[in-house]
This record gives sequence, structure tokens and C-alpha cells, in this order.
Amino acid sequence: MKPIIQATQLQFSYGAHAVLKDVTLSIDPGEIIGLIGENGAGKTTLLNLMLGLFSVRRGQLHLFGQQPGAPIAKQKIGTMRQKDMVIRGVTVQEVLRLAAAQYPEALNVTTLLKNLELTAIAKQRLTALSGGQLRRVTFALALVGNPDLLFLDEPTVGMDTNAQQAFWRGIQQLKAAGKTIVITSHYLPEIQAVADRICLLRNGEIAFQGTFQALQEQYQQVEITCQTALPVAAFENLPGVTAVTKTGPRLNISSEAGDATLQALAPVLADLRQVTIKRESLTDIFVHLTKGVIA
Amino acid sequence: MNAWFERFKFDGRRLILRNFSFQFFSLVMPAGFYLLFTKVMVTGNVPASFNVKYMGSMIVYSGTINALFGIAAFLQRDREAGILQWCWLSPTGIRPYYLSIGCWSLLMNTSSVVVLGGIAMGVNHVSLSVAQWGAIAGIAILGQLSTMLLGVLMSFVERAETLSVLSNLITFPMAIISGLWWPLGLLPNWLQPIGKLMPTYLINDWLGRVATHGTLLTSDILGTGAWMISLLVVVIVSVRLLLKRSDGVVRA
Repeated sequence: MKPIIQATQLQFSYGAHAVLKDVTLSIDPGEIIGLIGENGAGKTTLLNLMLGLFSVRRGQLHLFGQQPGAPIAKQKIGTMRQKDMVIRGVTVQEVLRLAAAQYPEALNVTTLLKNLELTAIAKQRLTALSGGQLRRVTFALALVGNPDLLFLDEPTVGMDTNAQQAFWRGIQQLKAAGKTIVITSHYLPEIQAVADRICLLRNGEIAFQGTFQALQEQYQQVEITCQTALPVAAFENLPGVTAVTKTGPRLNISSEAGDATLQALAPVLADLRQVTIKRESLTDIFVHLTKGVIA
Repeated sequence: MNAWFERFKFDGRRLILRNFSFQFFSLVMPAGFYLLFTKVMVTGNVPASFNVKYMGSMIVYSGTINALFGIAAFLQRDREAGILQWCWLSPTGIRPYYLSIGCWSLLMNTSSVVVLGGIAMGVNHVSLSVAQWGAIAGIAILGQLSTMLLGVLMSFVERAETLSVLSNLITFPMAIISGLWWPLGLLPNWLQPIGKLMPTYLINDWLGRVATHGTLLTSDILGTGAWMISLLVVVIVSVRLLLKRSDGVVRA
């Protein structure tokens, strides 16, 4: 299968400040990719390069086999930017009709308004809408061209809970329809619910790329607590163990390879009492990864 | 074709139909000035030629206000709101956007000819031949391209506040020294040659001569053309520089 987006050793700098360093990424048709990372990690820069808003100067980047910003690629792309457009003097329906007219295979505006539950505000001026309503109109603008590839930059910021749920339901429908979607967000649980893969950026580099399952398997941070009479030395050399502390009979073991450490503990289990095992959540892993704790 | 038509309809709504600022500052205000200086604040009989020439002045003034306040602010606001970037990301790009705004600007100038011409005929009984009206409309529309280009250039100012100051600093001094508000002969001698170089003076003089069967001056025509070409070159170069800076960032 030919990838829809292919980035190879992509680099980008603002003057002397390197924002992206050797980013290599491939996205296949129908995939949903979560582009995550802290502020300033390079997510928006990568998105802007993909959209053709920034020029590729080092490395290679192709969308649908074309250079970013090529007219043929633009026909197949829908974009939801962080900032909503507030155009004076026009209604929701009018701006959607204008957008639809720019694309060769646009969706029917009336149907789209109905599907996105925007019919009630179709004749309202954009200047009269709330922040959440504007966000939904921005989503509609991204969809109206019937794109094969969608870029969603912090899509749910400003939406209320109901709108957020409706939005993610919409994303699931798009996924079922085989659309390729690139989402940037700070909210890991949102991404986790829909994304097939994540691409975690840290300081302009890809710190992790793969499925959530792979992420959890790769970063098995585990805290084991128990009571035992055995000495600390009995645990220090177990596989994956990074730290062992003992206060009286209470023992704490930190491991970066939870499964391996637990297997190695099996022969001494009879000597352990009140064992508790705490695995790190995905959010904890994300925090550690973005802070560079796990490298 | 459909894309262009939708764009044209869309911009017409927001530029004219639902744009109170345009209706007031570019149509009502010049019309008010015209009535004020030809009907209200005059004593005795006003020469017929003054009624005609002042109509031309107010047509040029309306176009100038429209270009340097209306269009400049409009383009700047659109860029700030991300509309230009949105157009750039669409398959048709930004060319239809500029084309549509340009067409509407010319139509806005036409509307000022219609409104001010209508008042001149209805209130001051100005009587011109069809050919003269046609020539006035043509000169007003094409001649104002230079102020429109100046408006486009000004729209690249980063902040709305700066643009507002700039618009005031350019429009009103230019209107005064080019003789749109009162005759150029009333200005100090040293200022008059400067006034005669202004694009607004050249158009106004050209319009006045057409409306009063005067002798057309090649300096008016060539001067207007020179302004237009120079500003067009500056706008094209500026747009290229601004849209694609050296660091490769498109600022549409």
C-alpha cells in the first residue's frame, strides 16, 4: 500500500533554532495518527509543512505522491486549524457553500449541516456564534470538500462535553469510511480512543512512533511494594530493576521491564507478603516521554 | 466557474450589502459633502461648472476612502482572521480572492458614480451626455486602480491600529492637497506642485475636464498610468516577499 504521507529526514529551522530534526514518518491510507507532544515540540510546524504553508528545505515530504501545497493534493485535504475564522457579514451556510464550490467532489452542504447538527445555526452570522459552535463550523469546513486526508489541529478545544462526544463519534464514522486523519492534541485519552498509531514528538524529534499497545509494552514502568525479610541485594540484579529501597521490612522495587521483573520474582514469592504492583498509566508514560525521563 | 461565482456572491454580501461602513463612509458621506458644498453652504447662484467639477471631486474622494479605509482594512482583517490562509489551502488558491475583491472595489466605485451622479442630476440639474457619463464612469473606475493598489499595499501592515493611523495620515492630507475638498488654488504656492503629483489630483482633473468639455491633458493620463504601473510593481514585489519569506513561511 502506497503511503498517503511520506516524510523522510525532514528538518525545519526558524533561523538558528531547529524545530524539527530528521523526522521520518509514513502514514498509510485509512490510518488515524495522533500527533502528540508538549507545546513547542514541533507538532504545528510538522502540520504546516504537510499543508505546504512552510517550505520543505531539508529532507523530503510527499502527500499523495505530490509536493505539499500542490493543487492536486489540496483537493484531497481538509484542514481544521486551531484558530476559527470569524468572517463578518456572512452566515454559516454561506461560508460552507463558498468552501464547497472550491472542491471538485464536495459534499452537499444541506446534508452536511444536518449530519453535524448545525442546521439550527445555518442562517446565523459567524460573528453571532459561540466558541464551541464556531469550532463545529470549522470542522464542517474541513469536511465539506469530501477530503481523503484530514488534518485536525487541537480539534476539541472550546467544545462542551456533548459537542466533544459528538465530534469523536464523527471521527469514528470517518474512520469507518476509510479517511486518513492526522490529529494533534494535548489530551491523550481523546487520541487513545480513536488513533491507530501515535507519533510522539519531543524537541523536534520523534520520541516514539507506534500503537498504544506497543507503547505500553515498550515502557513497562512498574512499582512493586511488599514486605520481606530478604536483603536488598537479592533484588538489585533482577532484570529491569532500576532502584530498590528498603525501610524496615517494607521493600520498594522500581522496574522499567515489569513483566520480566515479575517473572524473576516468582522463585521468591513465598518470602514476600502484602505485594502490590502499580503499572504506569499511558498519561504517566506520556509525561515521562515528553519530559525525556524515558529515552 | 461555480467557484468564482460563489466567491463573487460571497464577497458582494460582506463588502457591500452587509457593510454599513462602506455604505456610510463611501456613499452617504461624499453625497452629504456634495449637497453641503453645492446647496447648503453657498450664497447666490453656484456656477454650473462647480456643481459638475465638485461631483467629480466627491467621486474621487469616495473611491479614495473606499480604497484606503475600506479595502485596506478589509484585506488586513481577512488576513488576521485566517481567511487568506484558508483560501490558500483550498484548491483554487488566493487568486480568485484578490480578483473578486478587485472586481467589487471597481463596482463600489461605480456605485459612487451612480449615487453622486444621480444627486447631481436630480438636485443640481447637472446635464451631461451619455458619452460624458460613460467616460466619467470609466475614468473613475480605472483611474482609481492606483488608490486601490495603495490600499492593498497598506493592508500588509501588521496591526489594525497602525493601519487606521496610516489610513488617516494618507487619505485626508492627500484629499486636501490634491484639491478634492476645496480648489487647489487656495493652497500655499509651495504645496500646489506637490498636490498636482497626487494620483487623486490627476484623476480629479481628468474627470473635471471630461465633464466640462475641457481640453484633456496628456499629463493627467500619463501621470495616472505611471502611478498605476509603479504601484502595481510595488504590490507584486511586496506580495511575493510577504507570502514567501526567506525562512520559507507562507504568511497568507
